[in-house]
Amino acid sequence: MNNTQPIYPFAAIVGQENMKLALILNIINPTLSGVLIRGEKGTAKSTAVRALADILPEIEVFAGDPFQLSPSDESDLLHAFTPVVRQKEASQAKPVKIEKRKVKVVELPVGATEDRVVGTLDLEHALKKGEKRIEPGILAAAHRGILYVDEVNLLDDHVVDVLLDSAAMGVNTIEREGISFSHPARFTLVGTMNPEEGELRPQLLDRFGLCVLIEGVREPEDRVAIMEQRAAFDEDPVGFCKKWEAASRELGERIERAIALYPEVAIERSLLFEIASYCLDVGVDGHRGDIIMLKTAKTLAAWHGRKKVVSADAEAAAELVLPHRVRRQPLQEIGEDVKGLRVKK
Amino acid sequence: MFKKIYPFSAIVGQEELKLALLLNAVNPKIGGVLIRGEKGTAKSTAVRALASLLPEMRMVAGCPFGCDPDDDFRMCARCREAVSNRTIRTQRVQVVTLPLNATEDRVVGGIDFNLAVKKGVRAVLPGLLAKANRSILYVDEVNLLDDHIVDIILDAAASGENRIEREGISFKHPASFILVGTMNPEEGELRPQLMDRFGLCVDVKGEAKPDQRIMLMERRDAFDLAPHEFLKQFERENERIAAQVMTAREQLNAVRLPKHLRTFISELCMENLVAGHRADLVMEQAARAHAVLRQRSEVTTDDITKLAPFVLVHRARNAQPPPPPPPESDRKEEPPETNDANEPDKEPLPDNPPEGRETQQKSGERISGDRQPEPDETNTGDRLDEKKPPEQIFDIGATFTVKKITSPRDRVLRRGSGRRSRTRIALKQGRYIKSAFQDKTGDIALDATLRAAAPHQLKRKNNYGLAVCLKPEDIRGKIREKRIGNFILFLVDASGSMGARGRMAASKGAIMSLLLDAYQKRDKVAMISFRKNGADINLPPTTSVEMAGKLLAEMPVGGRTPLSAGLAKAHEQVRNYLLRDPGARPIAIIITDGKTNVASGDQKPLEEAFDFAAKMAADPRTQYIVVDTEEPGLVSFGLAARLAGILGADYFKIENLKADQLVNVIKERR
Repeated sequence: MNNTQPIYPFAAIVGQENMKLALILNIINPTLSGVLIRGEKGTAKSTAVRALADILPEIEVFAGDPFQLSPSDESDLLHAFTPVVRQKEASQAKPVKIEKRKVKVVELPVGATEDRVVGTLDLEHALKKGEKRIEPGILAAAHRGILYVDEVNLLDDHVVDVLLDSAAMGVNTIEREGISFSHPARFTLVGTMNPEEGELRPQLLDRFGLCVLIEGVREPEDRVAIMEQRAAFDEDPVGFCKKWEAASRELGERIERAIALYPEVAIERSLLFEIASYCLDVGVDGHRGDIIMLKTAKTLAAWHGRKKVVSADAEAAAELVLPHRVRRQPLQEIGEDVKGLRVKK
Repeated sequence: MFKKIYPFSAIVGQEELKLALLLNAVNPKIGGVLIRGEKGTAKSTAVRALASLLPEMRMVAGCPFGCDPDDDFRMCARCREAVSNRTIRTQRVQVVTLPLNATEDRVVGGIDFNLAVKKGVRAVLPGLLAKANRSILYVDEVNLLDDHIVDIILDAAASGENRIEREGISFKHPASFILVGTMNPEEGELRPQLMDRFGLCVDVKGEAKPDQRIMLMERRDAFDLAPHEFLKQFERENERIAAQVMTAREQLNAVRLPKHLRTFISELCMENLVAGHRADLVMEQAARAHAVLRQRSEVTTDDITKLAPFVLVHRARNAQPPPPPPPESDRKEEPPETNDANEPDKEPLPDNPPEGRETQQKSGERISGDRQPEPDETNTGDRLDEKKPPEQIFDIGATFTVKKITSPRDRVLRRGSGRRSRTRIALKQGRYIKSAFQDKTGDIALDATLRAAAPHQLKRKNNYGLAVCLKPEDIRGKIREKRIGNFILFLVDASGSMGARGRMAASKGAIMSLLLDAYQKRDKVAMISFRKNGADINLPPTTSVEMAGKLLAEMPVGGRTPLSAGLAKAHEQVRNYLLRDPGARPIAIIITDGKTNVASGDQKPLEEAFDFAAKMAADPRTQYIVVDTEEPGLVSFGLAARLAGILGADYFKIENLKADQLVNVIKERR
């Protein structure tokens, strides 16, 4: 961690509660598979995602492992992978150190080329040693972390295909440029988009677990608060971060408590029925909606420190999970009012 | 390698999908399955889970192509020579994944770079087709696969072998594989030839019953929380299915197919106007597999009626309900199967296929197959005749799948993104499909360059401490290809004459269909409407087709018809667009009946419009399409047809815009 450039602290973001909640839920439970943030420009979308780094929990990784493998689960893969990447070629015999670090936020720029996303032939090694080695791509770096795509709707089509492929499988398979290789790539996909610039493809849309619509804050007082905070941060970033340190730490701790609590959260059958019929009522394609809604409800309960899901959790989950999944007339816009839809039917 | 795979036996519902996969596991001659369906219906999950149920097979040890020791005809050269001293091992049939980003060299195979540099030998590095020999080749989102790779697969599937002719290697090896693909029809259709290669096709849908959905949620959650325990719980059931598949495969050859059933099969196929004979063959093999899975030694009519929809749904050339009742058996309902994974209360199968055809188009909303675009019966049709207000807003009529509209392919390098027309691409983006000698773009295909240089390394002297010495003649450039979206301009006649007798509703339906098509192909769209005294740009060029759809729905109709003003506006838009992007190939779609009664200048309205049209036709970069909305009636003026003639445009009546489904698409192989 280098502290040269302080990041605007997550706890200091004013308003945008839905977005903050969605992001936090995804940290607590990475299997929610991401959040899509739809909204206008200048609504702290990117700020919030970058600020996440502050409050992310720690995970165990092998030191210097470009694939972010989990020592408890995927240690067998490490030995299989070591020979094919350039790092660590000499140290194969030595036991690899396990270290703890924060979950990473990996950014996928809109202009990224496919070979950088999936990984490619290691040019240097091929020329120097005359051997094929793999240079892992962004997907390898994002394993067990957060993959952040700003303006995800502007992403090149074939890069989207690749993303879909690995998001679906949790595995990135490289079969290109003379390389044949696959490695785990399970990531939380966080995307931001401005709907005015065109919609996302339905298949990709469905991969985002949650979806939040955000707009600029309407309350004049809040707007003033935003301006003040921002000015304070720009003037003295270090001091500003220090001021918020306690709040950030508290948030981080609360998240960790929720992570620990999540496996114990139980749900009643009547609520399961409620979730299933909710999805049926509003009309969603497939079952991903149900599954994510259940998980979201459980995660919400954990976040609120409860061991039991209550119906308010399910309600709240519906608003995060269903807006982008409701089966629409072709070209219809994504609705905001899921509850209204249900009442209508 | 990746242990945490959701078990097959734990998949809730989706019986047809599971059955189709198991049939393929039992009998590889079926040739695979295409799984179509909405997102989130366990398509990919099921295929990945299948891997652990597959039976073992005998293969020559050490052969990278997985040759069958018992099949002397299909064997790679090396195995054929080494008849006496080959050892045999058994291995599970594998699921080989073909990722969407695969490049040609990895699919086909190529030179082994390591060996070439170190030893100076040209050895073959087998590709995915080699790995997939006698196994399953699995493509997720198969409709997104590059055409280029599709060609290779088609070629290999047709001949049963893969020929490598590249990088100084000439080699062939057997490559017969079971092709399994999943797709979501929302993302675009599949090429008919490739579709035909899939033996079976299943359309999957989500479960409609809350109970099932609950079970599904619970299982998935349990799996994510504690995968190991979950796997253990379903282990026994999984093993049972695996054993069942194994025995079924052994007994497969013993299954008899009575002769009269062969006749039945061919009749079924003929009635559905299936192209070619693959359907017949596949149906026979599938029926055998089904019989043996049910532990019978003879195929019955039930096997065939049950499987016919799987075989015919993607091959039938019309939307007739495929399987009529069997000729000599009156039983319609299947006898309750004991050993079956079949849902008892599923709707009777013969009703499925026509639905399948519709969902194939794109979600349920579209109406396909009808010959005439009927105006929305509920409100527009009758409402109009009684009163004629100056301005009305019509609902959007029925939509349909439109014919393929692309600009002709050429060798111009372009920039852009989309899915309509394929083009060679100049930027360093797009899919790297293959390499070639040329390197005009500075986009070096490193892998190909190295492979080209590799065999010479032992001879070349090298002064820089690098292992590989490159010479200019080794340099290969990447050839990338991508589809770029076109710019589609809609010029809509919104005058009063369009309001008559629901024509606007039908026109809006047609425009909506075109818009949907534009959406799937990531086109840029713009919309101009003309009425009263002038033309308005309703929508400047944008990729937001949603917006166009919304505007279309709200577009009012009424007033006079200034066609020439509309044409002028369209020309202005197209010209501006071309100034910004000279390589673009705009398509202007003009929806009108050709009548006009307002001129911008001194000429007569009609003459002026035709005059404008002639000028617009002068620029060859723009492609025009005229959609004639004139009602076929007693008096028809044919003005739109004349306009099309002057513009050099393709001319369609609304009803002719519809894609005639397979028949048409087969003809125009992309």
